[in-house]
Amino acid sequence: MASIIAGFLDRHYFLIRRLHSLTGVFPIGVYLFPHLATNSSIVWGKLLNESKLPAGQLESLGIAAHAGVETFQHEVNFIHSLPGLVLIEIGLLWLPIAYHGLLGIYFAGTGRSNVDRYRYQDNWRYTLQRITGYIGVLFIFIHITSLRFGWTYWGLMPAFDPQAAASSTAQHFQQSTLGTTFIAAFYLVCVLALVYHFANGLWTAAITWGLTVSVHAQRRWGYVCGAVGLMLAGATVVSVIGFSRLDIDAARQIEQVMRNGPAGAARHVEPGGSDVLSASPDGRDP
Amino acid sequence: MNTQKRVIMVGGGLAGLAGTIRIAEAGLPVDLFSMVPVKRSHSVCAQGGINAANDIARQQGYSEYEHFDETIYGGDFLQHQPPVYEMVHWAPKIIDLLDRMGVPFNRTTESQRDLRLFGGSLYKRTHFAGATTGQQLLYALDEQVRRWEAQGKVNKYEYWEFLWPVLETDDSGRRCVGIIAQDVRTMQIRAFRAEAVVIATGGCGMIFGKSTNSVMCTGAAASRCYQAGAWYANGEFIQVHPTAIPGADKLRLMSESARGEGGRVWVPRTKADRRDPRDIPENQRFYFLEEKYPKYGNIVPRDIATREIFDICVNQGLGVGGGNMVYLDLTHLGREYLELKLGGIIEIYRKFVGEDPALVPMKIFPGVHYSMGGLWTQYTAKDDLRGMAMGSANSMMTNIPGLYAFGEVNYQYHGANRLGANALLSCIFDGLFCGAGVANYVLEVVTTTSARLDQSVYDAAVRQQQEIVDRLINGRGMESPYQIGRELGEEMTAASTVVKSEQRLLQAIEALQQLQGRYQSIGLSDTGMWTNQNLCYARALGDMLKLAEVILQGGIDRKESRGAHYRTDFPDRDDANFLKTTVAKYDPDTGRPEIFLEPVETGLVPPRARTYGKVAASTETSRPTETVSV
Amino acid sequence: MVAPTTEALQTRSVRFRIKRQDRPGLPWRWESFDVPVEPGANVISCLQWIAANPRTIDGRDSNPVAYDAGCLEEVCGACTMLINGQVRQSCSCLIDQYAPKDGDVMRLEPMSKFPVVRDLMVDRQRLFHALTRTKAWVPIDGTYHLGPGPQDTPQSQQVRYKLSECMSCGCCLEACPQYKLEEHESRWDKAFIGAHAISQARLFNEHGTGNVLASDRLETMIGPGGISDCGNAQNCVKVCPKDIPLTESIAAIGRAVTIHSIRKFFTGK
Ligand SMILES: Cc1cc2nc3c(=O)[nH]c(=O)nc-3n(C[C@H](O)[C@H](O)[C@H](O)COP(=O)(O)OP(=O)(O)OC[C@H]3O[C@@H](n4cnc5c(N)ncnc54)[C@H](O)[C@@H]3O)c2cc1C
Ligand code: HEM
Ligand code: SF4
Ligand code: SF4
Ligand code: FES
Repeated sequence: MASIIAGFLDRHYFLIRRLHSLTGVFPIGVYLFPHLATNSSIVWGKLLNESKLPAGQLESLGIAAHAGVETFQHEVNFIHSLPGLVLIEIGLLWLPIAYHGLLGIYFAGTGRSNVDRYRYQDNWRYTLQRITGYIGVLFIFIHITSLRFGWTYWGLMPAFDPQAAASSTAQHFQQSTLGTTFIAAFYLVCVLALVYHFANGLWTAAITWGLTVSVHAQRRWGYVCGAVGLMLAGATVVSVIGFSRLDIDAARQIEQVMRNGPAGAARHVEPGGSDVLSASPDGRDP
Repeated sequence: MNTQKRVIMVGGGLAGLAGTIRIAEAGLPVDLFSMVPVKRSHSVCAQGGINAANDIARQQGYSEYEHFDETIYGGDFLQHQPPVYEMVHWAPKIIDLLDRMGVPFNRTTESQRDLRLFGGSLYKRTHFAGATTGQQLLYALDEQVRRWEAQGKVNKYEYWEFLWPVLETDDSGRRCVGIIAQDVRTMQIRAFRAEAVVIATGGCGMIFGKSTNSVMCTGAAASRCYQAGAWYANGEFIQVHPTAIPGADKLRLMSESARGEGGRVWVPRTKADRRDPRDIPENQRFYFLEEKYPKYGNIVPRDIATREIFDICVNQGLGVGGGNMVYLDLTHLGREYLELKLGGIIEIYRKFVGEDPALVPMKIFPGVHYSMGGLWTQYTAKDDLRGMAMGSANSMMTNIPGLYAFGEVNYQYHGANRLGANALLSCIFDGLFCGAGVANYVLEVVTTTSARLDQSVYDAAVRQQQEIVDRLINGRGMESPYQIGRELGEEMTAASTVVKSEQRLLQAIEALQQLQGRYQSIGLSDTGMWTNQNLCYARALGDMLKLAEVILQGGIDRKESRGAHYRTDFPDRDDANFLKTTVAKYDPDTGRPEIFLEPVETGLVPPRARTYGKVAASTETSRPTETVSV
Repeated sequence: MVAPTTEALQTRSVRFRIKRQDRPGLPWRWESFDVPVEPGANVISCLQWIAANPRTIDGRDSNPVAYDAGCLEEVCGACTMLINGQVRQSCSCLIDQYAPKDGDVMRLEPMSKFPVVRDLMVDRQRLFHALTRTKAWVPIDGTYHLGPGPQDTPQSQQVRYKLSECMSCGCCLEACPQYKLEEHESRWDKAFIGAHAISQARLFNEHGTGNVLASDRLETMIGPGGISDCGNAQNCVKVCPKDIPLTESIAAIGRAVTIHSIRKFFTGK
């Protein structure tokens, strides 16, 4: 068996490696943009402050408007409204991630970092690419299973509810038995690691594919990748802070208003409870 | 056992590799032996370039003939002329071939091969690849050999040291039928059979201790052939290069191309001037070569430049800061030009001296560089003496049939002084031209293949080498080979380089005999049988001592001055008695060389005075009088 | 007299800690020697001194340290080793720069990516094997005179010359996190070929005639142990003593294999 696999690997080595490189950039890497943009909408949405709920509706309930919660919910709703979502997820995300991640672990194992002897910046870059890759596999697994499949990890990670996107995410951050700080830090480290991994991967991919040949081109492309990385890192920090500090109850009420109109806000429903699932996906239009 | 006819090539420098390619091309398998991976052979050090007539020079009145004449004049008429004639005519073709092999020769804006000036010529006829030409040529040949190796036509034995030629005597006489070699890692000693053996083992600079040569250039292989009965010719002709930088372990060369590209040699006019060279105004600088040789200036041949520098420093005490150094000034050439044309040597100077030649004049002094002498070889001239007969089986064959000498270890082509950038040419020429002769000898002359010879011939030779090793390993003496080696180098450098005299040479012979005596009681600190470099060095040292004697004795017997051989007691050239090759024959009974003289074939250009347009110097004497070392 | 002897030089002493191993398979050990050094001394001149005076600091008689050396001017690549943990040529390693003070310590070890033969000497055959794998040669028609080679502009000559200065020293391999020790020849064809060979592939693909074998070379680069095994750590380019633009070569070959494989996909060859 081993020899069959080895033979297969040998014959298609280049294809396998280039697919690995490709999957890193596209779709996984490209996915990071909308994903982090959506997440950070919890803050930028609020800053834009364009509440779509009819004026006075929230005031009548005594809740402060929070356009971020609305925007986030709106984005999540959009995603969940996509036809054949699971197929898209499998084909464009999970399979590529599994491919890239598992092979990544294997490839990372073929090298042996030597930053102890050669303390060059690029060598650190290379080493971090491997370390952040490992972190990435771990994180993405936990992240998907908990936020997508509802594994709560014995209460460490309260699950996500697409109907109550913002509030359940905030719960995920704030109601862990380990405390908000821990989860926030965990997310910050892991997601920043992935952002680094992507930005650096984007840089090396240009060498791998032969887009940047000269040292100058590599340097200039480095600035671009650095800028991309900083942007994504900014979105990451903002999202984590946003969800760690979100007022869960207020958010839930806004979501209920969005879902059921003002009346719904009075009912207290546990997130993830059957009540919610039976509700119409579009909060504004029951 | 393989019954196919085959050739053994000992040495993977330019000569060995070129020969390997030519012989493999003729369809014969080649076993290539080298002490180091061939890509690390000493040829890699060559910097300046390789000479050949070319279109631009032709339009200025230069041709192969002028190249020929310069080489003979530069060599003070001591070479046989037909081989030189052939070589210079091959030169342009060799450049083309190297070009085809991918050598990145410098180019002009019109994509032509760029040219530079070199010592002993007034025409630009030196082709170059930066200042690492030897490296580039060696790599090109190495690549071609790798190609033959990939096809199974060449077998490399790297890290194998040649120990002895195997000779066999039958009714038709004595001939070479293989070699004994040792793997210097596993220490295995083995015999190898072949129909012909080519020695292409390079020079012998290590005999002088510090030189511009690589550490493998001990001359031991040549010495072993000499002790086995091959003749050694013109040993006393050792080229001392005028411009080297002294170092703790070797003298690093600053190529003649530095002067060819416009570098100027000077010293301060006042003794022991301690000012920064950049602060010394033009009129207080003594450009002694330019003043004495207005025509050639800084590019007089090496023997002359060396003696002038020696004279300035040792006799006149004008050396920089009162020491033994003169300035080689490139600062006026501009950094960009220097990097493009001389990058390699600029880098060496910067690395080892720590100063930037683009900003500060380099400090240099002569260093032992090249051996014009080497194993005596034969050739077949064309009827009109204009060249050698192509494919002749005796081309560069030693006096032992089947044993050839190519490259620096061959005494031909350069006479009493080699012109810069002619060595690379002669090495490749030997390989290409004479390689064909070797193939013809093996295919047409040899009738009994070595495979059919009795094993006992080889066994006996292996045993003999094993005994030498055992003797060294089991020696319990107190003498250190490294100490003897150092003393040998110091004595040879002092007595037998720039200036010599009978009395000093005799003194050196005496010192040498003492060293040989002490050599009998050396003890090794390493007696193991795995990668024993101590043993290899000690064994080579014994052979170096033998060859040193040939060099000294030749110097004593040659009672004249010619080219690189300058005798204070016989300061003039003496064509009547010494327009002859010195040939040394080893006498196994005394262990000493027996010297005889052989006439030189000068049928094409008659000898003339060799002055290089020298004018009376502004300082009184220019003839070195001292022989003592400093 | 040829080389000027400097007047009675002031010497100082430097301690050499050397990793020694008598032969493959035997355990290694550290040995220390105190070596008097003159200004301008380099690691090779110190090893030569040790060879002549092989006595360790605890007064034990030892034997000369085995090492490789050739040119002593950093063009042959023989003398590569680890000095204070980093790979470089020992002949150009000046003691004054590395150990400027009396009693300073210098640590010498053999390269770690090649099997040790003895002491500081390693077997770099795999490095040359990589050149065969790359077909790093110009397939000329033979040595007979057939006129000059292909035209070459000064710009292209400068590019090729730089690449052609590679002296097969192996520094780039030693420092590469993706290049690992492979004792057995049978594994060489699939193990990472290394930056030097990738760069040589570029060199010969750039030559008018060398180019004839370009697709063979690219096929090697595409296969196991080819260019895909490079992880872009870029250590190679930093340790290369000849300043060969290895990372540019890697990217250039990356581009060439991209194009090559696309063409192969559509044309089948
Ligand atoms: C610093 C320097 C610069 C130079 N620059 C120029 C220049 O610009 N132009 C020019 O024309 N000439 C130049 N020369 C001279 C020229 O480089 C040499 O004469 C030439 O390279 C000699 O080549 P070769 O093939 O004869 O021997 P080498 O290149 O010395 O090769 C000898 C080979 O023999 C092998 N060998 C030796 N002994 C044994 C043994 N016992 N057993 C097995 N193998 C053995 C070695 O391993 C090696 O492979 C220069 C020389 C030096 C020192
Ligand atoms: C899931 C865990 C992951 C692991 C273990 C992992 C591992 C790796 C490794 C080892 C490499 C280097 C490959 C090489 O240079 O040969 C790499 C490259 C890359 N990774 Fe990942 N990765 C993971 C997730 C991700 C994610 C989530 C992204 C997207 C954000 C990503 C994007 C990239 C990119 C763009 C490259 C560059 C490819 C190239 O150099 O051509 N990776 N990854
Ligand atoms: S760039 Fe590639 S070859 Fe160079 S050190 Fe990094 S992994 Fe090795
Ligand atoms: S590329 Fe540089 S480091 Fe690598 S072998 Fe060549 S010269 Fe040495
Ligand atoms: S001995 Fe040749 S590179 Fe150091």
